[in-house]
Amino acid sequence: MVVASRIGRPIVLYARCLAVQIKAVLEYQADFWILMMASVLMNLVGFVFLWTIFSKIPDVDGWTFWQVVVIYALVFVAEGVGSLFFEGTWNLAFLVNRGELDFMLLRPVSPISQVMNCAVGINGLGNLLLGGTLIGLSLSHLHIHWTLGRVALALLLLVSAIATKIGLNLATNASAFWIQSPFSGFAFSMHQLGDLARYPITIYASAVQALITVAVPFAFISFFPAAAVFSKNGWRLGGVELPLRWFGLATPLVAVYCCWMGVFLFRRGLRRYESAGN
Amino acid sequence: MALIETRGMTKVFRTPLKGPGLAGSVKHLFTRRFTDRVAVANVDLTIEAGEAVAYVGPNGAGKSTTIKMLTGILVPTSGEVHANGVVPHKQRIQNARNIGVVFGQRTQLWWDIPVRESLALLKEIHRIPQDRYEATLQSFNELLELGELLPVIGRRLSLGQRMRADLAAALLHDPKILYLDEPTIGLDISVKDRVRAFIKQLIAERGTTVMLTTHDLGDIEDICRRIVIIDEGRIIYDGDLQAVKDTFARERSMHFQLHHPPADPAAIAARVPGVKLVAGEKPEQLGVHFDRFEVSAADVVAAVMTEADVIDFHIDEPAIEDVIRKVYAGQLDLSAAEA
Repeated sequence: MVVASRIGRPIVLYARCLAVQIKAVLEYQADFWILMMASVLMNLVGFVFLWTIFSKIPDVDGWTFWQVVVIYALVFVAEGVGSLFFEGTWNLAFLVNRGELDFMLLRPVSPISQVMNCAVGINGLGNLLLGGTLIGLSLSHLHIHWTLGRVALALLLLVSAIATKIGLNLATNASAFWIQSPFSGFAFSMHQLGDLARYPITIYASAVQALITVAVPFAFISFFPAAAVFSKNGWRLGGVELPLRWFGLATPLVAVYCCWMGVFLFRRGLRRYESAGN
Repeated sequence: MALIETRGMTKVFRTPLKGPGLAGSVKHLFTRRFTDRVAVANVDLTIEAGEAVAYVGPNGAGKSTTIKMLTGILVPTSGEVHANGVVPHKQRIQNARNIGVVFGQRTQLWWDIPVRESLALLKEIHRIPQDRYEATLQSFNELLELGELLPVIGRRLSLGQRMRADLAAALLHDPKILYLDEPTIGLDISVKDRVRAFIKQLIAERGTTVMLTTHDLGDIEDICRRIVIIDEGRIIYDGDLQAVKDTFARERSMHFQLHHPPADPAAIAARVPGVKLVAGEKPEQLGVHFDRFEVSAADVVAAVMTEADVIDFHIDEPAIEDVIRKVYAGQLDLSAAEA
């Protein structure tokens, strides 16, 4: 019971704070539908692009169309969850620049959770729906032999992939404490870099692959987890043969690392926080 | 240990040193130079439970920075801070349970939802039991008149309404310490009075410790017994409000209403040396400023009545305002009072 309330209460509180933001968004109904449609349309364009390419070629580096769609859709799902439940992370730059973080530091709740739930990105709902639909569609075409173990693994990797994205968002946005600009330019450019992970990363130059595997591990949001579920192997990077599947299985560790990094950088940054003059 | 204690508390802000204009900003991109600005220097403060302290100083003196360090928002560059047994910036969550904070210029209410829901959310955040929550709101209602505010959406509140709602929000969890950073700024007289009455009631009934920064000297005289004056980041006076007035508010003014304009003002001045005559708005009015330790009010009245035909007069009591104004203007050395 005690454990349940220790974990349960913050989640309930988190949901309540988020509900406030959703209510606020729903006040502007037109905006709600526009945002939804815009995100779905934008990402559909990407999907059509993918489909066009694959109508000319059978596979990319051993990845079939529907497998690539899973990679592609995983990015949407992770971004969708990020926008829908953790959108406030993107407001950090503004909060720091304007000194709006002050009140979050004066409440008996973790400031990180308060930052994360201080906004909601309804476009995330569109991404999530589209991503979910595409994954469902892919799986129906892929004829994977689903054992209980594989289902459990897939779910674990999905959660880890999402957590990796959330952690990276927090870590890159924590740069706001150092940069102090009201815009999250740095975090956003990193986020753009994440678009590279929408495709099998083996199509890129080694340096790019290393970048999104090690430096900013966006590849663990989509490519590696998918590789593990599809039992892919044989990854050559700079002439070295790497066990691709094992990278996929390491996704939970990467997720923990990214989240830890986010929390660490946030706390470090908080020491530098200057508020805003009155 | 006192409720709030700081030792050598210092905050240094690093600000970029940029040349003027766009060219300066561009140049700064490549040659980053910084300058350190000491906002608060070596502040030692000791505040006992139940005290009401006014924290006063000119703009940029370091008042808000001090409050932000005491509340844990800012981490001091050096020195120690303790508030109710915790180090605010290290044990933020524990500290948050002990304190309530109101910034006159900003609101902690949620912008897009009614006040009622903001307060309900804070109730959850602070884990306040329903019965206590209702009792607290009930007790606030008399002076803050929350009833009419509850259905109003945050962004539609007027400044006065917002301040009342913010006070309630900051005090829902019955904190031991209340920090108020310019709580009456921009408010009209009636709301100001209400806010002050509310704070006084809080001190009297709940024994809340209050620290208040303000430029409104009415706030100070109404609420606080102790005054701390800060200038350029340093405390230049810390002590009894009345003692400051006795020591430094020496100048007193008398205002006379006369039948006719005074024939020879210089003659009045000659009778009581050391006074300063000031013409009133109308020629029949006359103001006399004097040091109350050098000239008695009776002498001044006698002198004016001899030289002019007096209908009425009144005396301005020495106010803390005079002291503060001199401090702000850099005319007063307060170190004398500490001796």
